[in-house]
Amino acid sequence: MTSRQNHSQPHDHPNHSTDIWLRLLRFFCPVQLYEEIEGDLVQKFNADVRKFGERRAKRRLIWNSVRFIRPGIILRHSSSFHLISLFMLTNYFKVASRVMLRNKTYSAINIAGLTLGISSAMLLFLWIEREFSYDQFHADKDRIYKAWNKRVTGTKADCWNITPRVLAPTLVEEYANVEAAISYAKYTDSYLFSVGDTRIMKDRVQFMDPQFLDIFSFPLIKGDAASAMANPNSIVVTERFAKQLFGKREAFGGSLTISVSGSDFPFTVTGILKDLPTNTEFDFDFLIPWLFLESISGKEQNWHNNSVSTFVKVKAGTDIESFNREIKNIKKTHTSGADDTEVFLYPLTSNHLYSRFENGVPVGGRIEIVRMLGILGICLIIIACINFINLSTARAQRRSKEVAVRKVSGAYRRSLVMQFLCESVLITFGAGLISLLVVFLALPFFNSLVQQQLSLDFQNLTFWVSALAFIIMVGILAGSYPALYLSSFRPVGILKGGSISSSGKTTMRTLLVVFQFGFAITLMISTIVVRMQIEFVQSRETGYSKDNLVYHSLVGDLEKNYQAYKTELIQSGVAVSVTKTSTPITQRMSNTPGIYWKGKDPQDRTPIERFNVDENITNTAGFTILEGRDMDLQRFPSDSTAVILNETAVRLMGFEHPVGEVIVDDDQKYEVIGVIKDFILTSPYQKVEPMVLLGGKKKWVFNVIHIKLNHGHPTEKNIADLKNIFSKYNPDYPFEYHFADVEYARKFSDLKGTLAITTLFTSITLFVACLGLLGLSTYMTESRVKEIGIRKVLGGSVLSIIKLLSMTSLKPILIAIALFSPLAWIAMNWWLNSYAYRVSINVWIFLVAGASIIVIAGMTIAIQTFGAANTDPVKTLRTE
Amino acid sequence: MGKDYLGEFEELILTMVAALQEDAYGAAISDEIETKFKREVNLSAVHVTLYRLEDKGYIKSRMGGGTKERGGRRKRIFTVTSAGLAMLRAMKETRLELWKMVPQLGLGLKD
Repeated sequence: MTSRQNHSQPHDHPNHSTDIWLRLLRFFCPVQLYEEIEGDLVQKFNADVRKFGERRAKRRLIWNSVRFIRPGIILRHSSSFHLISLFMLTNYFKVASRVMLRNKTYSAINIAGLTLGISSAMLLFLWIEREFSYDQFHADKDRIYKAWNKRVTGTKADCWNITPRVLAPTLVEEYANVEAAISYAKYTDSYLFSVGDTRIMKDRVQFMDPQFLDIFSFPLIKGDAASAMANPNSIVVTERFAKQLFGKREAFGGSLTISVSGSDFPFTVTGILKDLPTNTEFDFDFLIPWLFLESISGKEQNWHNNSVSTFVKVKAGTDIESFNREIKNIKKTHTSGADDTEVFLYPLTSNHLYSRFENGVPVGGRIEIVRMLGILGICLIIIACINFINLSTARAQRRSKEVAVRKVSGAYRRSLVMQFLCESVLITFGAGLISLLVVFLALPFFNSLVQQQLSLDFQNLTFWVSALAFIIMVGILAGSYPALYLSSFRPVGILKGGSISSSGKTTMRTLLVVFQFGFAITLMISTIVVRMQIEFVQSRETGYSKDNLVYHSLVGDLEKNYQAYKTELIQSGVAVSVTKTSTPITQRMSNTPGIYWKGKDPQDRTPIERFNVDENITNTAGFTILEGRDMDLQRFPSDSTAVILNETAVRLMGFEHPVGEVIVDDDQKYEVIGVIKDFILTSPYQKVEPMVLLGGKKKWVFNVIHIKLNHGHPTEKNIADLKNIFSKYNPDYPFEYHFADVEYARKFSDLKGTLAITTLFTSITLFVACLGLLGLSTYMTESRVKEIGIRKVLGGSVLSIIKLLSMTSLKPILIAIALFSPLAWIAMNWWLNSYAYRVSINVWIFLVAGASIIVIAGMTIAIQTFGAANTDPVKTLRTE
Repeated sequence: MGKDYLGEFEELILTMVAALQEDAYGAAISDEIETKFKREVNLSAVHVTLYRLEDKGYIKSRMGGGTKERGGRRKRIFTVTSAGLAMLRAMKETRLELWKMVPQLGLGLKD
């Protein structure tokens, strides 16, 4: 920096840091004035340096140059471009509106197409924006990380984000870079909340450490973030849950009772949280401190038990890569080498979109869906723009005289481009306004499809600016090619009565139509494949009988009254069979690689699902026994240490005669008494996991009662009776029950949402493409009206003329089908690859999709061409 | 008529141009105003006013030389036209006439 060295020496140029401001000024300032202005500024700067010193002088220079950006300077550009274009602008708009009004059909087609394209894209972009906003609102989001495990076996690495409870306190204790670390967990358990007569059952319970509210920005309406969790019997609830519990009464400081496994615990509300926003990965109504759990069952110190999420807030300026190297072997160190799982921190802000790991490295995740829908949105816009481009260039002949006259009267090509751009921007602007309305009206429907709460933020200036920028961008995208094309006409030929040759442009139009329909066919094939995949998986054998199977939590007095409850249910004829299990038949409880059997390969770490049962599970759920027998505690009291395997587990363990073999879980031996056919516990899309149905040696493992209702009685009556008997044996608890088939159907809700979205956008794409086709064929028949007349006079039949006209329009569609079907095949194969249980793609899918597109397009064209082929040639030929 | 009217700041600038003669350019004028009248003026305001006066025909301009102090950039030197001089004179006279109409109160004010 030469300027620092000698203050008395005048500077040739103030400084590099102020350079940008002068450059900005140069951009705005008329060229003939710039030199003197800059000279004056520099002179002033040098005077200021002597008077105030360099720093202040620099500030003053910036301020002075910015002040020059004012109308008195900017409007002094020597070319009077501004004035003319402003004046002409009104003319352009006048002409544009006249052209639009004169051709109502074309305008309607253009506006309808653009409106559909813009509104769909807007909906998608709103959704995408929401996806990107997940957990971005935390004040210290850049310093918050989630801990992950990485286990390397040979050349493979597995990553998962459930960590031991003891990780968080250890990190705080041993690493100076950690500002705070907490464990957070969501457990499946039955907690009964009571305040006076209000009773609410919750089957998901969240535990966390006191610093939770410091790390994350979930604002408290009442209470103090630092002390809210200091006491084991304190609880923080959301505003909504507080209202449910306390009604109109003051919830803050209020007491409530939580009943867990037969005991009651008093709690005090020490904080009321604002209801959670929808753009967070967290989902809870209340938070209970770990201290509470630990005051009952003691502190969990086991490094092997991965059971919680660990969130870490590092100190500002921490280099996360080197910190990750430091903590990598934390488990190994603390287990003296017994657990070689590595630990690393992964940014909270990447958690929502980028949390899929393959072989130890992040490879994407939800972002793939976001990208796909983003591309979909852009393609929808492009398709709408193509309509505009095709219709404008096809109808160029009509505007050619106008262009010629304007050119002869002295219009520059630049101003003609400007004129046509104004037209397209005007049309997109109209379409944009209608789109806003459409989006506003369609949002509730779209929200239910994507299960989000998106909204248009009309009060936000950024929203309006981006909407405007978006619309102008679309207008320019749609209008630039037609504008360049139309403004290129040579006036001499046109005014002499010649016509513009448009053969080259026809190829261009054909290409664009190919793209439109190619995209439509890709979407159509995707929709068909998604639908088939859903149907295929829905028809997959579940391995148990869902009909009349009901489950509810095993809570309160039911634990001691279980036998009486069960007997009455069966005797009264409500149920055929009743059984206790650890979790509902549609959910996993836990899995572990830590089950041992004779001959197990020590390297084998395949997780095995645990599912606890007492007896009669086979009758109740309708499993098929392949070998051995069901649990029967009456005849074999030792069955509490028995186990039933599923087929996959038998294959994994390699038993030839499984019955009589012994497996060990958590130091407890279990004898295999039977083998059942595989059933779907978790995901119907994936392979059935190996599973052990363990006996109930540990009494506390039972959380759920499954009841097979008597199908001889109507379901309503059964449920009513069940409720009465339930209340008799468990008066304190509300009766909440679930049907297994309903819960099972939930496993499909994600994919059904995907199906609904693809169906919706396929229809829109197809509709917009057909609109364009309709416009093009209307134009084509119009311009060939004389040819048709002559053909008819010379004896052409109506049918032959329809054929002639349709073939020209259908050709690009056939090309599109041929070109894009393989593309769709590749894409859908990739999509299906994420499902272990998947439908295979048949040739007939392509045939059906192709045929339906041809039929739809053909019908669009036929209406047009039929009318044209039937016109009386006398009328069309008489005009000249 | 608006054409015959000059605002206070315009009049000040026009007078400065007349006074500074060969040295009348943006930075010099603003410096002069700041030192003589202890009045803070913005450089851009001076420039805009100069251009406006030129539009109205009261001053004309040509490019002068550059100095090291200005980083070698040339300056635009303004000179008053005869219309400008007439305008200044007319304004001075109007002001004098107005002043004569004011009763000379100066001595009586102390009571």
